[in-house]
Amino acid sequence: MAMTKTQRRRLTATARYAILILWGIGAGFPIYWMVITSFKPDNQWFSWPPVYFPHPPTLDNYLNVWFGAQEYANTQYAISSQKPLLSLWNSTVIAFTSTFLAVLFGSILAYGVSRYRILSEARMFQLLMLRMIPPIVVVAPLSLYYSALGLLDTRTGLILVYFLTTLPYAVWMTKSFIDEVPREVEQAAEILGASRWRTLFEVVLPLIRSGLVATFLFILILTWSEYLLALIITKTNVSTLPIELSKYQGSTEGRVYGRQAALAVGITIPLMIVGLIIRKHLARGFSFGMVRR
Amino acid sequence: MAFALSPPAEATREASTLAVSRARAVRRFKLSLLLPLIAIFALVLTPVLLLQLYFSVHQWTVYLSSWWDADYVGLDLFRDVLTDPRFGWAVVRSLAFATGSTLGCFVFGFLLAYLMYRPFRGQAFFYIIFILPMLTVPVVVAYTAEMMLYRSGPLNDAISHITGFNFQVSWLTNPHLALLTAALLEIWNWTPFSFIIMLAGLAAIPKEPIEAAEILGASKWRIFWEVQVPLLRPVILLALVLRFLEAMAEFPKTWALFQGGPGSATETLPIYIFMTTWQYFEVSKGAAMSYIVMLMMIVIVLVAIQLLRREKRSLDAMYRQRDEEEQAAGG
Amino acid sequence: MSKFDVTRRGFIEGGLGLTVANFVPGSAPFASAATMEEQTIAAAKKVGAAKVNGMIWSPYFVPMQPVIAEFTKETGIGIGGVQDISIFDAPQRAMAEALSRSPQFDFIHIDSNMIPSLASAGFLEPLDEYIKNSGFHYDVVAGYDNFMKYNGHTYGVPTDGNVHIQYTRKDLIDNPDNKKRFADKFGTELKVADTWEENLRLQEFLMDPSKDLYGSGNLRNRANGVTWWYMIFYSAGGFPFDDDMKPTLNTPAGQYAVDIYLQDKKVNHPEAANWGTPQMIPRIAQGHVVSCQYWDGTCKTIKNPKQSKTVGQFYYSVVPGSKFSGKMLRRSISSPLAAILINKYSPRKAQAAYLALWLGSGKNSIPIVSDPVNAFNDAWSNAHFAAPQVINAYTQEGIDAIKKNFEIVCPPIYLTGYLEFQDALGKNLSEAYVGQLAAKDVLKNTENEWNKIVGRIGRAKLKKDLVSYKAAMTKRDVPA
Repeated sequence: MAMTKTQRRRLTATARYAILILWGIGAGFPIYWMVITSFKPDNQWFSWPPVYFPHPPTLDNYLNVWFGAQEYANTQYAISSQKPLLSLWNSTVIAFTSTFLAVLFGSILAYGVSRYRILSEARMFQLLMLRMIPPIVVVAPLSLYYSALGLLDTRTGLILVYFLTTLPYAVWMTKSFIDEVPREVEQAAEILGASRWRTLFEVVLPLIRSGLVATFLFILILTWSEYLLALIITKTNVSTLPIELSKYQGSTEGRVYGRQAALAVGITIPLMIVGLIIRKHLARGFSFGMVRR
Repeated sequence: MAFALSPPAEATREASTLAVSRARAVRRFKLSLLLPLIAIFALVLTPVLLLQLYFSVHQWTVYLSSWWDADYVGLDLFRDVLTDPRFGWAVVRSLAFATGSTLGCFVFGFLLAYLMYRPFRGQAFFYIIFILPMLTVPVVVAYTAEMMLYRSGPLNDAISHITGFNFQVSWLTNPHLALLTAALLEIWNWTPFSFIIMLAGLAAIPKEPIEAAEILGASKWRIFWEVQVPLLRPVILLALVLRFLEAMAEFPKTWALFQGGPGSATETLPIYIFMTTWQYFEVSKGAAMSYIVMLMMIVIVLVAIQLLRREKRSLDAMYRQRDEEEQAAGG
Repeated sequence: MSKFDVTRRGFIEGGLGLTVANFVPGSAPFASAATMEEQTIAAAKKVGAAKVNGMIWSPYFVPMQPVIAEFTKETGIGIGGVQDISIFDAPQRAMAEALSRSPQFDFIHIDSNMIPSLASAGFLEPLDEYIKNSGFHYDVVAGYDNFMKYNGHTYGVPTDGNVHIQYTRKDLIDNPDNKKRFADKFGTELKVADTWEENLRLQEFLMDPSKDLYGSGNLRNRANGVTWWYMIFYSAGGFPFDDDMKPTLNTPAGQYAVDIYLQDKKVNHPEAANWGTPQMIPRIAQGHVVSCQYWDGTCKTIKNPKQSKTVGQFYYSVVPGSKFSGKMLRRSISSPLAAILINKYSPRKAQAAYLALWLGSGKNSIPIVSDPVNAFNDAWSNAHFAAPQVINAYTQEGIDAIKKNFEIVCPPIYLTGYLEFQDALGKNLSEAYVGQLAAKDVLKNTENEWNKIVGRIGRAKLKKDLVSYKAAMTKRDVPA
């Protein structure tokens, strides 16, 4: 109680920084561990005591995993038929296409909801069920249905389910942007004789361009990291990066941690970049119009 | 209005045809906006749910017949599932996992958000560090955890160094700890989510009531409980509900790290359904189980949605009022 | 070799094969004129070139590639694409294929214990016809080929014997100081164990956790541990079903096996409950284990100085046995016995079958099983045991032990529904091992679960399966 106001403020500030730094270490350490493991030579992957900094750091893991460069590997870890680059391509195509579709149709629906009330508020919330019911409960019949349609192990198949499960987010998020567009703009367009579709595509959507980008990247995060559906719906032809990663387990030599980490870093980096770009919009994506700015 | 009452009959008809055709055009436009959603329901969801329903009342033994030849068994499978202690345990584990990790995410997320919602030096830096776990792919989290959590691994080692005790916890192999480990990973992975939402919520609280309370000499503690928390109710609810639902469905981390083991310590609902369907090929039992879980989740989701809607309405009302006041003040 | 030579050689061999196949079918004198390999090529040429797709784990696939390349050169039959999937995950994926009757994979490389389930699901192509056309025969110890047979048909071509052998640390056993202390304490000589009890005793005696040296290197995780349990159970005279398909686990032999199985906890690493091969093999090769039963391929890892600190420091022998039944019985196990099976729904099944038979010839598979780096394919054919390359990879001592263990090898449950039976037991054993379930309940619970599985699959059908299961069981008490 004898503290002056300045002292107390300084103490609070110190305590705050202490907690934040502590949590920062907790949040950062696993990521740090993954990154350094990817630069470790094989004898330091699983060593005791643990090695906190690779010495000497090596690029072997990256060269071997991403470029199949066997000469950089101690031969026993060379796993030749893995195809991370192909998976990278699959992941890219699938994530981008499904996200594009979700944002496109999501914004169309959102426009309808915002301007024409095509879905009541109750329906809008019910739409969330597509996301909130655990996918595990429908994945078995889905895979049989897919095999009947010939969609099993195709990019189209995976794109379709990803589109489905991310649509609610797309609708809610784009709606929050469309709601902010003043109606006068559309009315002006209509008076000038633009059709409804043209108004939507040439007036409204361009106005919320940055919002669409944020929505796009937000959904990209979800589709890029999806695991369960990809595990069941894909086989040989189409394997996404998260699935590829789980194949790096097991061999006589023990866990190939370094290789796994090199792959993991490659999967995670794009996601982190995307996430940091849209960090200001993340709250909007998750909050279904419940958080105002 | 008066004019509209007295025009010649022909003009009225013309106007009304125009209105009708316009209404029809609007209706057609609305329908075409809805088309993708209708297509999804008709072409994907309905067949899949019907198939699931079929399996849950037909015993398909995969070694014996094609699925369309399976025997009709009525509700036998549902009875099987409901009397299966393993299923009961899976429900308990899932609820414990979801509740624990939700609360963990919320408490930490809220604390961090509270410490950070007002500008201070380094705010942007901490924000970036704090959201990184959420931007890590779940399977990557699982495999990184495996690299870190073995008994003589870096986590125990680092804790031993810091505390001076010989810290030897079997995070992955002690059946009493495994579910906790899974929950801790979930908390690590998703605290950023609660953090982001709470931060946005805190930042959006109008300043006036807080300032008023400060002038009246209220302590920070009282301001927090009596002003901020009530205003944050909708956001808090949102953070809890969404996290809980996502945690009920958690699969990649638990599966990649534990596959239900050690023993059956981490056999949660998604894992048990996955194993029943894809490891023992009891597709029918898996379907019955799925239906039960789906109904359970629908009930939970509906309750959650009711709560969210109510909060959203009161929130909307509050903001509308504020906007109007601002407008009035501005005008 | 010039291009011309290749063509000429192919032409000659093809011609020879055609002659045999077309003009003198099944004729004994001529059949001996062409080798099994030549006949396979000839038969394969008749079905035409194709690229076949398969499901196979890369550690198995990599050493096969040169052998496949040779076949491709001769016949045009090669590999189009493979799904790289671990042998432990393959059964589930293969069943999923069977359910959707997908023609996508022409062959799958998988635990042969899946044969009954996959054949019952209608997924497998019987190989009898192809075997006849190519003059193929299984050149194996005792009745090992019965592991490939089900209900009178042959379905698989082994690529990996995967028999368990006993590993015991030479340096520890032969250490005079240890010998003396052991003799003083127990009044018997310290030597490689003959029974489970002796094995546990020496493991406990020699282990030293303070030096990170544990007694046992056996697996006790949920997926693999059950494999070890069968060895103990069979050696105590047990068999899991009676002739009416009633489970006979909860018997003295079963309880004995559970008891021995759980005692491993005293001598194994505290984290063993979650460890599989990726963790355990390095432990064995790095010298952190006194003794264990393990897959024979570990001989190769131990001998490779890049991966091992214990080169030359292991005794290889027959797995321990038991006198529980009144007489000494030793039972080794082969699981997962990786084999190539052919998809009945595949349009390229003939091509895939001949490719499998090509890979399965004793002579062709010598380079496959002797690869010291991708050490997953283990010796299984008599041709391997005589080949210097193979002996060099495993050591003579290793080969001798492998042959002996093959004489007394058994499968785990070889019935339709293998995965379900296996997991019910594995789960209960694993729960008991980590202390979630009382030891006395393991077998009771498993029997209850098994009864349900039998009911679901059908008692009559399983009783028929039992014939194939019993045929695969060894007939000997101990190796000759």
